[in-house]
Amino acid sequence: MRQIVPFLLAASLAVTAAAQSDSGAPAAATSTAVVAADTTRYDPSRVSGDELAGKQVTNPIEAINGRVAGMTVQRSSSSGIAALNAVRLRGTTSLTGGNDPLIIIDGVLGDLKTLQSVNPTDIESFKVLKDASETAQYGSRGASGVIEVTTRRGGAGDRPTITYNGSFGVTTVGRNLKMLDADGYAAEVLARGLALVNKSANTNWQREIERTALLHDHHVAFSGGAGNGGYRVALAYQNHQGVIRNEHLNNFTSTMRMHQIMFGDLLRIDVGLFGNVEKQYTPIYDSQKMFYSAQAFNPTYPTTRNRQDGWDSYAEASQITHPMALLDARVSTKASNLGAHAKLTFNLGSHWKLTAFGSYSFNETETSHYYPTTIWAHGEAYRGSDKHEQLIGNITADYTVKLGEHRLGAQALAEVQRETYSGFHVTTTNFSTNDLGYDAIQAGALTLWDGTASYRQVPTQASFMGRLTYDYADRYSLAATLRADGTSRFGNGHKWGCFPSVSASWNIINEPWMAGVKERLDGLKLRVGYGLAGNQGGINSYITMSALSPAGIVPVGNEAAVSLAALYNTNPDLKWEVKRTFNIGADFSLAGGKVVASIDCYTSRTSDLLYMYNVGVPPFSYTKLLANMGKMNNSGLEVSVGVTPVATRDWGLNINANVTWQTNKLVSLSGYHNGYYLEVPTYVDIAGMNGAGFHGGNNNVTYQAIGHPLGVFYLPHCTGLKEDGNGGYTYELADGGARRVCGQAMPKVLLGTNFSLRYRHCDLSLQINGAFGHKIFNGTALSYMNMNSLPGYNVLAAAPARRIEDQTVSDYWLESGNYVNLDYITIGWNVPLRGKAAGAISRLRLSLTAENLATITGYSGLTPMINSSNVNKTLGLDDKNIYPVTRTFTLSLAIGF
Amino acid sequence: MKKIAIIIAATALALGGCNDFLDEKPADRLLEDEAYGTLNDLWLNGVAGLYREVGGNTNGTGLQGTVRGVYDLNTFSTDEAFVPKRGADWYDGGVWQSMFLHNNAGADCGDAWNYLLRQVHACNASLEHIDAYAAAHPNDNVAPLRAEVTALRAMFRFYAMDLFGRLPLFNSSKPSTDELHLQPRSTVYRAIVDDLTGSLDLLSHARSNYPGEYYGRVTQPVALFLLAKLMLNAEVYADDDWTDGKRPSGKDIMWNVNGETVNSWQACAIYCDEIGNHGYELELSQSACFAVRNEFSVENIFTIPMDRHLLTNEFWNLVRSRHYKHGAALGLEGENGPCATRHALEVFGYGTDEVDPRFHSTYYAGEMYDLDGDPILLDDGTPLVYYPDKVELDLSDSPYIRTAGARMAKYEVDLHALKDGKLSDNDIVLMRYADVLLMHCEALLRQGGNDELASALLNTVRARVGAPGREATLDNVLDERLLELAWEGWRRNDLIRFNRWGAAITDRPALPVDADGHTIVYPIPGETLTVTGDAQNPGF
Repeated sequence: MRQIVPFLLAASLAVTAAAQSDSGAPAAATSTAVVAADTTRYDPSRVSGDELAGKQVTNPIEAINGRVAGMTVQRSSSSGIAALNAVRLRGTTSLTGGNDPLIIIDGVLGDLKTLQSVNPTDIESFKVLKDASETAQYGSRGASGVIEVTTRRGGAGDRPTITYNGSFGVTTVGRNLKMLDADGYAAEVLARGLALVNKSANTNWQREIERTALLHDHHVAFSGGAGNGGYRVALAYQNHQGVIRNEHLNNFTSTMRMHQIMFGDLLRIDVGLFGNVEKQYTPIYDSQKMFYSAQAFNPTYPTTRNRQDGWDSYAEASQITHPMALLDARVSTKASNLGAHAKLTFNLGSHWKLTAFGSYSFNETETSHYYPTTIWAHGEAYRGSDKHEQLIGNITADYTVKLGEHRLGAQALAEVQRETYSGFHVTTTNFSTNDLGYDAIQAGALTLWDGTASYRQVPTQASFMGRLTYDYADRYSLAATLRADGTSRFGNGHKWGCFPSVSASWNIINEPWMAGVKERLDGLKLRVGYGLAGNQGGINSYITMSALSPAGIVPVGNEAAVSLAALYNTNPDLKWEVKRTFNIGADFSLAGGKVVASIDCYTSRTSDLLYMYNVGVPPFSYTKLLANMGKMNNSGLEVSVGVTPVATRDWGLNINANVTWQTNKLVSLSGYHNGYYLEVPTYVDIAGMNGAGFHGGNNNVTYQAIGHPLGVFYLPHCTGLKEDGNGGYTYELADGGARRVCGQAMPKVLLGTNFSLRYRHCDLSLQINGAFGHKIFNGTALSYMNMNSLPGYNVLAAAPARRIEDQTVSDYWLESGNYVNLDYITIGWNVPLRGKAAGAISRLRLSLTAENLATITGYSGLTPMINSSNVNKTLGLDDKNIYPVTRTFTLSLAIGF
Repeated sequence: MKKIAIIIAATALALGGCNDFLDEKPADRLLEDEAYGTLNDLWLNGVAGLYREVGGNTNGTGLQGTVRGVYDLNTFSTDEAFVPKRGADWYDGGVWQSMFLHNNAGADCGDAWNYLLRQVHACNASLEHIDAYAAAHPNDNVAPLRAEVTALRAMFRFYAMDLFGRLPLFNSSKPSTDELHLQPRSTVYRAIVDDLTGSLDLLSHARSNYPGEYYGRVTQPVALFLLAKLMLNAEVYADDDWTDGKRPSGKDIMWNVNGETVNSWQACAIYCDEIGNHGYELELSQSACFAVRNEFSVENIFTIPMDRHLLTNEFWNLVRSRHYKHGAALGLEGENGPCATRHALEVFGYGTDEVDPRFHSTYYAGEMYDLDGDPILLDDGTPLVYYPDKVELDLSDSPYIRTAGARMAKYEVDLHALKDGKLSDNDIVLMRYADVLLMHCEALLRQGGNDELASALLNTVRARVGAPGREATLDNVLDERLLELAWEGWRRNDLIRFNRWGAAITDRPALPVDADGHTIVYPIPGETLTVTGDAQNPGF
């Protein structure tokens, strides 16, 4: 029996191998099933690759920020090069993990990191699936939504083409904090009777760590086709600098797709291979350390090294370091991805279709760092590698039959998946030279026991799915899916979860009685769906087993020995977290498709919510326990409108807009586990202030609170400033500093708008995004307005006038987070080609893009575009760790032969 | 169609095969039933592993050496030392101020509870593994191992009971809710004493502080030391209501020691004598106990073994006390934190003609020098000078904001220490013979009647450091315990026993919060109370 599952895997692999060896032969082709059928009509859940404009992104998903209702793309605010932080479809539905959507590239399952291996130019379309009945076919992995990415391919019979896309860009810093300069700093320190350490320079540290960054991208694609097949090969190279000195990324990607058709129309073979190697180098190992230091370090210090060839330290400021010294830190991340897939489609007559699919993906991330002795006592080098392999095989049988106006379909799927997570790391310390770093970790005299480790986990998953569809006269359709997912991560008796879903749609426009209005209204459809999805994201393989790991060293006799111990509470009763979603929607199309609109309303409830409980010792031996007992609700309304008021030969105007209203509520977390009652305090902190004077105590800002949305601000109310009797002011708190909920960190409303205007050969497009209804805690201002920070930490230029001598956390610095941001604007010129040129060159385009040109906001900090969707220690909190606001200008050339 | 039939058949078979496919066998760890198969595995994973956590390297873990754990709660709440606020530094949300001002709920004591009770839990699991092994191997003698783990559990319960008063007395690794109810302090106290006396005869007589088979382990002298402490504090530990202003008398709390019925003071004296019989004596110099190579000390009884290359326990106490520049001058780090109180300076006679000879081996004060003997310079070029008597709880507005306070000097600086100086070689001293002599002296004074021996014990300790003799009175014993044992983590225990926990000192007036006595223990974490619904300690 147990050979069967490997058989499935082996079969899929064999298929992959066979298909690859045959891929040279050309064959005719039609589009694959993943591509949306009607690409001319505006589909609010689909973004075509042609619309990706000239935005210079390293992860293609960033290019569609704001383009799809209900989707939030969170850029990192701590790095200029590794820009992507998190993507959410219809909000956060789990507290442990699995909130990022499933990414499927040409049918190969991956994650956001995998998407890095595709150059945006290679993308034909994105299709975003949010509704449970749509994502049902992907099971638990698609519980948080699915983004299907289709890469470009060569069509059958296409003539051979070569395209080149090149970009050159400049990124500059748009805005820095205005701190006191050296004179102002010295005067304030002396005026306050404090000891001044004046090294006579006048340094703006923020400027010193910054630079104007350059970027250049190149992309070449070859494609073509013959009677029975097609191919496309693309190679791309991206080279991006960050605006922080020494920050640099380069990414090489290659994509190959081929297909051929064999034995008449019986067999179609699709093969794809994509891979990339991305290298990032940065001095930023801790973004707060970097930006806090650059903002607050004593401005009288010079930027030059001292006589000992090091950097002068400033003992008053224990939380920050000489910014020039920090630039000497080296952090490198090298990620390589390889994905291969093959799909065999057998068209067995007019009713039957059989598909066998196999894919293998490999990802390795090598992380290295070196902290020189100037910033880290004795220096520290680290080198580690984390590998993830995923092998998936599935077989699908499709049956369709048409009886008059009735269409019936049935589908059965069996799938197995095996993943391998493995890795190791080594840390060495006590360096006598800073010149070798992580390239020669043996230059460190000491290898620490607790800095060396390796691991391996091999979780498996199996799924079966049955699906029935019924359609009558293009008017009524019904679909029902039953999917069973099993995972090795749960204990016996809890491995399998069963997740049904149903959906129905009514294409009203096709009703005979609608004929009268068909001239004005050319599309009207109602949709409704309900479904369950399981989630196991964020669970480690062995959490359900009592297992012992190497725990530490004990002296045994005169030797040292490693003893094994259980290092966490196990929970053999863990089970699938279940999300139930109900969705109702309608699609309209008016005036011959000039106005297209979609409206969707959804509500979802997550039950058996996985949550890391703080538990008592005893009865448990550790303070954390992962258990599923809680409930959380999400709901929202999404409206998308596409308008094409003008579409003539010379003129074209297109306006697409989407608005999303979303709410979230954590309903409950308490319950019984094994007879013990577990309870979570009503308010549990998520993010809190860090830095001088903020350690420990209650400096928390954002909380998870029962009965409230995830990420609320729970702060004392400040009634104003009060004189402290010594000429300074402190924050006056109401009710003795009692806390209350005073806003949420996640936006209530999201807006995305895209305009594109075309006149003859010129075009212009711009993207405007906005978010409303949320707040931001300006912890940066709280810290830098506190005159008591002197002399150790510089203050804002505006601080002396206010004379605040307090940094108590309160709602005083809680500000509205509303903003409207001009994400990018692109001006393009499709160079008209005549005569000989037109014969050789099929397309020539020049374009200029400006990113992040303007932000309209009432927020007083650097930027309102901080983390407002990812539940972690930065949610809604601006705390001396925000990457400078940058603007990028890019000139691009596209040429096709 | 044939293919489809094969697929369907394969699918059906796969369904059956899936349960094997979905079983994952760990490769990077051992399942519980594989870890205790031999006596050696049982020792290594079942017992030796318990000692790994006597020390620590993260916040709140270890009996001493890290931050915000057992040691801090026992030290920075007392008249001996505190962590002053220096502007934005060391405010830390008020945790250090809370500790010193006996706002116990704000003192961040949850980590200490979790750490200590986790060790009790681990000892229970260890005892179960020993019993399971014994059942499977009837010819192996596991009784000494069992006794050792029972005594180790008693030690962790001792520290927990001293800090929190009441404890759940659960004896299994999967306790029922009934077993988790908090027991009155006197019940916990008796149980700890019973576990120790019941184990005593089976424990090794070896010296625990010597490297070798019993290095860092609970041996008979360690258990005797704990019993002496438990007897000396009988009036506190046998008191189930510490807010009523009444305590039982130690003379009325009776014990059976070696077949004789004796009161607590007599019992303490007997245990102290027995420790002496094991051959412990005072080092010629007090500093020898705290030297980098202190593992062959004749005075130390129980230590946390430290080895910068082999072991992972850390010692942060020196690092966090000294000034940044002081640390840098040694090639290590400094965090400019904890200082001696002015009360401690008074007891040491600082600034008088009769400064205790131990002052300079206990504290750094005055001008500091680097390894070459040159003055250590601050950023502005002036020399680093510690000003012991300028210290106060909030130094934010003081001209001595960074330099006020005498700093900890009581361990030899290990210049080869790693991790900023935290990974050093000096074994951390938890129990030593000088304390035994002072406990013995105190027990005699409390019993009354043997003043000569009491005086001899007190002055043996004083004579070793060249301090003039003093009359053996309880007040002098309390002062001597500060002079001899400063920075060693016993001060809170001493002050409570002497009813001086809430007494006014130069650094702090008598605190209203101490009036009813509820602050002599810390509150029990809420997660533990949730399970049983038991009431919190009174006053919180």
